[in-house]
Amino acid sequence: MNVPWLTLVIVIPVGAALLLQVVPRNLTAAVKGVTLLATAAVAVIVGVLVAMLPHTVGSDQPLTFHYEETHAWIPGIGASYHLGLDGLSAWLLALNAGVFLLGALAVSRRSTERLRFYCTLLLLTEAATAGVLLAADLLLFYLFWEGMLVPLYFLLSNYGGEKRGPATLKFILYTVAGSLLMLLSIIWLYVNSGARSFDLETLITSSGPAQAVIVIPGIHVPTFTPQELVFIGFALAFAIKLPLVPFHTWLPDLYEACPPAALVFFAGIVSKLGAYGFIRFGLTLFPEPVNHFKWFLAGVAVLSIIYGALMALSERDIKRIVAYASISHLGFVALGIFSLTQNGVNGSIIQMINHGIIISALFLIVGFIEARTGTRDRRQIAGLERRMPWLYAFFLVATLAALGMPGMNGFVGEFTIMLGAFQLNWLYAVLAGGGVVLACWYMLRLHQGLMHGPPAALVERVRDIRMGEGLLLAPLAALMIFLGVYPRPVGDLARPAVTQYVARATGTPVLPAVYS
Amino acid sequence: MLAQAVPIVPLVTPSAKDLLGLLPELILGGGFVVLMLLDLVVPARRRAWLAAFAFLFIAASFGACMWGWFDSGSGRALYFGSIAYDKYAMFINAVLLISAALVVIISPQYLNRRGLHYGEYYALILAATTGMMLLAGAMSLMVIFLAIELLSVSLYILSGFSRHEERSQEAALKYLLLGGFASGFLLFGMALVYGETGHTQLQQIEAALRVSTNVDPLLLAGVILIFIGLAFKASLVPFHTWTPDVYQGAPTSVTTFMSVATKVAAFAVMVRVFTYTFPAVYAHWQAIVFLVAIASMLVGNIAALTQTSVKRMLAYSGIAQAGYILIGVAVSPSEPLGTIGVLYYLAAYAVTNIGAFAVITVMAGRGEDLDSYAGLRGLAYRRPYVAAAMGLFLLSLGGFPPTAGFFGKFFVFAAAIKSGQTSLALWGIATSAVSVFYYLRVALLMYQRPAADQPEYQWSRSTFGGSAVLLATTAGTLVLGILVTLVYSAAAAAQGALLPVAAG
Repeated sequence: MNVPWLTLVIVIPVGAALLLQVVPRNLTAAVKGVTLLATAAVAVIVGVLVAMLPHTVGSDQPLTFHYEETHAWIPGIGASYHLGLDGLSAWLLALNAGVFLLGALAVSRRSTERLRFYCTLLLLTEAATAGVLLAADLLLFYLFWEGMLVPLYFLLSNYGGEKRGPATLKFILYTVAGSLLMLLSIIWLYVNSGARSFDLETLITSSGPAQAVIVIPGIHVPTFTPQELVFIGFALAFAIKLPLVPFHTWLPDLYEACPPAALVFFAGIVSKLGAYGFIRFGLTLFPEPVNHFKWFLAGVAVLSIIYGALMALSERDIKRIVAYASISHLGFVALGIFSLTQNGVNGSIIQMINHGIIISALFLIVGFIEARTGTRDRRQIAGLERRMPWLYAFFLVATLAALGMPGMNGFVGEFTIMLGAFQLNWLYAVLAGGGVVLACWYMLRLHQGLMHGPPAALVERVRDIRMGEGLLLAPLAALMIFLGVYPRPVGDLARPAVTQYVARATGTPVLPAVYS
Repeated sequence: MLAQAVPIVPLVTPSAKDLLGLLPELILGGGFVVLMLLDLVVPARRRAWLAAFAFLFIAASFGACMWGWFDSGSGRALYFGSIAYDKYAMFINAVLLISAALVVIISPQYLNRRGLHYGEYYALILAATTGMMLLAGAMSLMVIFLAIELLSVSLYILSGFSRHEERSQEAALKYLLLGGFASGFLLFGMALVYGETGHTQLQQIEAALRVSTNVDPLLLAGVILIFIGLAFKASLVPFHTWTPDVYQGAPTSVTTFMSVATKVAAFAVMVRVFTYTFPAVYAHWQAIVFLVAIASMLVGNIAALTQTSVKRMLAYSGIAQAGYILIGVAVSPSEPLGTIGVLYYLAAYAVTNIGAFAVITVMAGRGEDLDSYAGLRGLAYRRPYVAAAMGLFLLSLGGFPPTAGFFGKFFVFAAAIKSGQTSLALWGIATSAVSVFYYLRVALLMYQRPAADQPEYQWSRSTFGGSAVLLATTAGTLVLGILVTLVYSAAAAAQGALLPVAAG
């Protein structure tokens, strides 16, 4: 029998969310149990799927999906329910399952006020993000991409911190503005493809867009070809979600207002989706425009790296420091993609996974510190080392991973990306290298400031993390070290797809990979 | 072209089959009479019975519609070509009847609290719905005018239903005066079109226009005047000025009905008249419809930004939504996706907007309407489900997937791009991004705790009827956003069976 595994990955969380509605809301154990069971079931399925994913070697198809499912959805306009998993999305899907499982575990007993609604939203978000990663039909992709905002909006407006109102609004407005342009581009692609289909594979192979002309009465856009304009629509949506400077301003505010338990999956997966979109849709549908704009886009990525790092240096709020560090790290991801080299893109995929692991851990740690000291001002906290030895150990691992120490997972991705950046232009690589130096500075300063020295007044009576909290951090720390010394599995799966994409985009034979 | 001599039609009585084709309208019209009589015998305390009867009539009419949808004998013109018995009319009828049913369900509780529970209310709702259904099927200028008057007069009375409230009276008067003007424009336009073509029946007008070679300015004046008359009913800019005042002044349950059903009926007839009767002169009316669509999107969305009254905000939002729907009319008549988009959008708008208005109807406290933004503050803490539903409706109005509103917008934008009018879609996209701001501002208010010195609004208890309506509209919003084919294929079938085309 053919089991629709990928549909299950989406349907199980939705089903669990519906099931939660009939569980009495004061039975918190049952609510949490259902949530955990659902996320764990998804994690197991995804784990098996990824482990059994066939390695595709030497295929000349632009996309090679596995476990494919295709059903008619809106046959009248050629939209289909088409899901597929390949080397590019496999590890991201695993990351997705992981961070949501972690998010479900991190739901604290103290936030039992409306726990059921929280768990419902968490599950719905998981379904939407999984859908984004699995969709092989542009309309379906857009549905998940934009639909993801609905549970996120309820999550932030219900459970956010002090400034959640403006922060949520800013986030949604930014994202919607970008997404709507993408929608326009999607419709344009559909109309001009000749195939009258939203299917990604069909759109890639149909040769329509190049000749068609965009008609905007009164506006003449001589410098861009239609295809480039359409790419800009996509690029804006992804750049905002990623986010790249200057579209990043929603992120620090939002991360500040976001409840720590939700940040695990918010920072863990949602921001990676922008990068995923760039690779999956940008590189495949718009090879020429990406190649045309790569200098500019890589420059923006470098700007994000430096700007994020400098802002992280100037902040006092530890949550915002980590938020800006995240912008800086995602700049690396973008740099790798736009270097348009096999190393760079492969490095980006590795970095996405690693960043998801690192940032989840960092935000968990920040949440623990804030819950115990009652402040996020880094100057009011010192000497946690003696009070919280366990947290100290985990934080040390996460810090070293975040600043890219060799032997930790952060290094692998950044190093591979830098290789790619060098192949594009040495200057970009040097500037990005400056970002690594800055990362050492702000991460070590943060770590030392919080951990060492005589305990500050607020720190006097704090207690170390509990066993449960430690168990949240332990797998993350283990992964940081494991993927630091043995990154092959992540790199290998994605390489065939990446080779294809890069070859299509640059139109040149692919340089041999220096590092897997 | 000169008017030809009108042939003398021998007087024949329409066949019984014609009567059968009009069954949905007849049932509802009969319901109107029966309810007026029943009101005399039902004691004042038992007026909810009237609502139940009204619901029964609506349900029966809906059943007749369904029968008409599947009837193989449909797809013909009744009464010598004045009324269409086609899937298009049945689609619109179904949307109208569902809207009316939902409004009737939430009305008794609201009217009781407001002290407005009079029996005429239900009769008038049925009368207005009958008019709208006739409008959806109208294939003659005369029937269009009669149907518009039937629905308008009923709505004039309904909007002034809160007799002791000045604002409601003002609303009724304003609506009556401006509506009278609009009817005048409409009638004048019809007269000009008749004068030019010599026909009042759409099929014949279409045929006459198709063969004519030169376009007379008077004909164009007629076409544009008809558009103005219909644009008034659909509250399109610049004929929208009555909308916020009337929506705010009228009792909320009436606004719920009016904001949705009138628009559905007006767009239904607009598509039949403009896309399918006047395609020959499309080049001449296109620019005006185009500009009106852009103006509506801009004015509606920008004016909605500064509102502090929920009803006014939804009124301006409705103006903007009308602008989006008009995109489907403005695109080339040869593009079927335009009409399909209009139909889908209307269905989506109906469930979503009724949901949003139903929330402020069923949550209204004793005495006064729930209208100011402050009245929604903190709703999520007292009525989490209602607040979540309202949030969903607002997201749908803002066009987020997977809700109905997204696919409404998607289809009209796709139609615009497909027929080469990318700029219309660009305007739509830009204004949609603006609209998210005010929809979410209201939605976020519900999740803010009320200020300490400010008393919380006294929301009413949820009732069975209110909850049922909210549940139904929530489900509808999601179904139209996920299981798109259900309504899409119906809309495509309705578009395919639209009569003037079939006759051509």
